[in-house]
Amino acid sequence: MNCHEAHAQLYTFIDGETTAIRRLRIRWHLHRCPPCGDGFRFEERLKARVRQICRDEMPPELANRLMTFIREHDSDGSVG
Amino acid sequence: MADQATFEDDVTEFLPQLYSAALRMTRNPADAEDILQEALLKAYRGYHTFHAGTNLRAWLYRILTNTFINRYRRKTRRPAEVELGELEDLYLFQRMGEDGPGGAVRSAEDEALESIVDDDIKTALESLPENFRIPVLLADVEGFSYKEIAEIMDTPIGTVMSRLHRGRKALQKALWEFAEQRGIAGP
Repeated sequence: MNCHEAHAQLYTFIDGETTAIRRLRIRWHLHRCPPCGDGFRFEERLKARVRQICRDEMPPELANRLMTFIREHDSDGSVG
Repeated sequence: MADQATFEDDVTEFLPQLYSAALRMTRNPADAEDILQEALLKAYRGYHTFHAGTNLRAWLYRILTNTFINRYRRKTRRPAEVELGELEDLYLFQRMGEDGPGGAVRSAEDEALESIVDDDIKTALESLPENFRIPVLLADVEGFSYKEIAEIMDTPIGTVMSRLHRGRKALQKALWEFAEQRGIAGP
């Protein structure tokens, strides 16, 4: 595998959406090619960072408000 | 078949993440609450069509996503599909890595990654066109698989992958622009 082939599989690799055998081949390339290894690690960390940052807290009383709304519209045919 | 009587108990654990996803979709709390409310009512009314024991979380996200898309397209009348130009692989890494001193490349990249401001990440995600933002949100933030995203968006898996991959590059381009504006490249 060369760098170009590894890059083409960057996202399926970090998403865990590739086959075991391809995974091994990519890992072997990353081991032998430090620039690609660093690049892939960077992408993995960035993905983790996006996940960590882009979750917001729900306002505490919202769950109750939503469920009350559902109960009130239980048998009513119209949507708000 | 799922029982409407257990709806509240069944969905409560998913509400915080659904709210957060709705917020990333609509970009403001009032609209997020609005689409979440509409989506939950639809879910409640259609709960008898949900097969108990299958993927409830994905089913709820599918209803939320549809609710958002229907509302948003009606409201803004913007073209539904936006195209992004081609962007190179490892877009942000290539740029942030360049500024590091030779020999200590990896720690320079770590620092670069840590120097990205939290708010810039949210803003960058929210700046993506809707057809790219939703797959990035569902994969990176919500942790769904490609197959689940394809089902949630009712889109072929190949399209999901292409949008997700290009959406991520566009996110990196936006992050790089913010970093440059903030002068993160260093003194």
